[in-house]
Amino acid sequence: MLPLILTGLLVSGSVSTAFARGVTLNGYVRNYTGILIDEENEYSIIQNTLNLDLVHSKSRIAFKANPYLYHYSDSELEIDLREVYMDIYFDNVDLRVGRQQIIWGKAEGVFITDIVSPKDMREFLLPDFEEIRMGVTAFKFDYYLGDHNLEAVWLPVFTPTLFPEEGSIWRPQIDYPVSPRYDYSEKEVKGSLENSEFFAKYSVITSAIDLEIMAGYAWDDDPAMHIRKQIDPGSGEIDSITVTPRHHRLSIAGSSFSSTLGPFVFRGEGAWYSGKYFNAAGAAVEKDYAHYLLGLDYTLWDINLSGQFIQQAIMDYDPKIEDDEFNNTMTLRARRDFMRETLTLELFSYLGLNNNDALIRPRIYYDLADGFEVLLGANLFVGEAGQFGQYNDNDMGYFKVKYSF
Amino acid sequence: MKRKAVFTGLFIILLALPGLSYGLDDPAGLEIIKKVYNRPVGEDQEGLLTMTLINSRGDTRVRKIRQFLKDFGKEEKKIMFFISPADVRDTSFMNWSYDEKGRDDDQWIYLPALKRVKRISSDSKSDYFMGSDFTYDDLGDRHPYEDKHKLLREEEMGGEDCYVVESIPREEEYIYSRTVTWIIKNKWIGLKKEFYDEDGEHLKTLKVEQYKKIKDYWIITHSQMHNVQKDHTTDMLLEDLEVDIGISDNKFTERMMKRGVR
Repeated sequence: MLPLILTGLLVSGSVSTAFARGVTLNGYVRNYTGILIDEENEYSIIQNTLNLDLVHSKSRIAFKANPYLYHYSDSELEIDLREVYMDIYFDNVDLRVGRQQIIWGKAEGVFITDIVSPKDMREFLLPDFEEIRMGVTAFKFDYYLGDHNLEAVWLPVFTPTLFPEEGSIWRPQIDYPVSPRYDYSEKEVKGSLENSEFFAKYSVITSAIDLEIMAGYAWDDDPAMHIRKQIDPGSGEIDSITVTPRHHRLSIAGSSFSSTLGPFVFRGEGAWYSGKYFNAAGAAVEKDYAHYLLGLDYTLWDINLSGQFIQQAIMDYDPKIEDDEFNNTMTLRARRDFMRETLTLELFSYLGLNNNDALIRPRIYYDLADGFEVLLGANLFVGEAGQFGQYNDNDMGYFKVKYSF
Repeated sequence: MKRKAVFTGLFIILLALPGLSYGLDDPAGLEIIKKVYNRPVGEDQEGLLTMTLINSRGDTRVRKIRQFLKDFGKEEKKIMFFISPADVRDTSFMNWSYDEKGRDDDQWIYLPALKRVKRISSDSKSDYFMGSDFTYDDLGDRHPYEDKHKLLREEEMGGEDCYVVESIPREEEYIYSRTVTWIIKNKWIGLKKEFYDEDGEHLKTLKVEQYKKIKDYWIITHSQMHNVQKDHTTDMLLEDLEVDIGISDNKFTERMMKRGVR
């Protein structure tokens, strides 16, 4: 149906009609070409994108639709709605209903309290964050009192993380002694009122500090892998492994802040997860879990610098758990504009401190004209194991050409 | 009500803020600057700002911003919604500045791609705004005590009788070693301002192309900043200007940064 609508809009001249009715149409067209840096220089991706934003608003009501289309070099088409929602504004209350991206927290490139919208991880953490965060059908209620905001969100249907398909170079590595059989019979969380997700957040911005306090009763977007092993009675060795992915309920409470002191911006974010299951040798193990971050932003010699230290800590640790008890990560960003902000150099890195692995992302942006941008970049994976090192064979260079209108 | 010229935002500020200095050796210069700084410009303001960047080859890039300003007594709040170019559309920027001497502004930016309001430091006031020839300090709330002022002479410019005032920053490492401003007598508007770099070389010239009396306030609506060293220019045009229209306090909130200029 959506392709028909898009085609109708783009081909039949309805755009001008839509404009006449007060609908604004914006968006972008983009080519994204990635090349693996290896002996064969295979393309890791060739993707053409059409992304549209249609907005209509009156004084107290508005709607937005964000259809997008990915066209791949093998002619595969992906068409979907990232967002489609309605807004109604009252004096102190806003209500948003429909598919929407909901973003919380102060962290950059790390998801701690920012867990309402699930992630599209089909190309790991490489796409723009707008494309990593998936829209979810939600009823969002905001109450405002000056600079104070109370937000409540109901997600009637659970949406899990989208993982790379079998055979993708971005499929996470899981080492099993024998090739496993996957049993997906328990993976689905059926849509029902009992299976809804609920989130709430209080936030305030003041001269001294920006503060958020949140809580949620949700499903873990990432399934735990419950493993059953069949032992051969004769040899005593593992005969077969059955992996049963299953999502579990989570209770989350967290907070984040941001504040300035002279030239410095301090940021912090932390959350406590209760009911988190961790993959282990055998059945997945339930443990409470803390995830927190401290960050600092500073500008030196016109270079915008940003650093974050992130720690994940598993409480009452069980040595059978595959993850470390404490997992430490850092992010670093350096960015500088040149030529009246038409040329930007940027270096962003994730550093995995437990496994000495890293993802290093140098990028150069150049605006050929207003709204016409060329991006040259590289994704360099360092290490042999860990969240980033597992993709050591996926070093890639890429370019993006983007026209915004 | 008596208002600081800085409140009028991206225009009046430019020429209204050679700055004040307290207890200096030139009371005449100080008095002139005080009158510029305290010129009444209304309690609130809304306008469409068009900023045209022109390089030495004559190529142009255009940025459009819808801006709202309001005086809250001891603080002033400003919110700007970027309309074009397309790749920055729906980005918004909010600034709270304070009368309190030495207190930094508070600033936030909303990036629609991240769907998040981010607090930023207001410390880098020597950075250029959106690639233009105006620094944040040229546009923003540079407190008067940051400069020393001296009345150099009186002369006519553009048919107006003007005071010519030299302002020297107290901070040694500042990007300008001095500025010279031509201020229209009785209107207390800066008509022209020259900026000199750290080596004392002429860096930029700001010229007011048009100013208007709106309600009871003199407001600059068109000006140009020319960088004489790099030979590029930024043209700033303020249109659809409305003053004292009773803008709601709620306009200057995170809620409105996210909602946009609708």
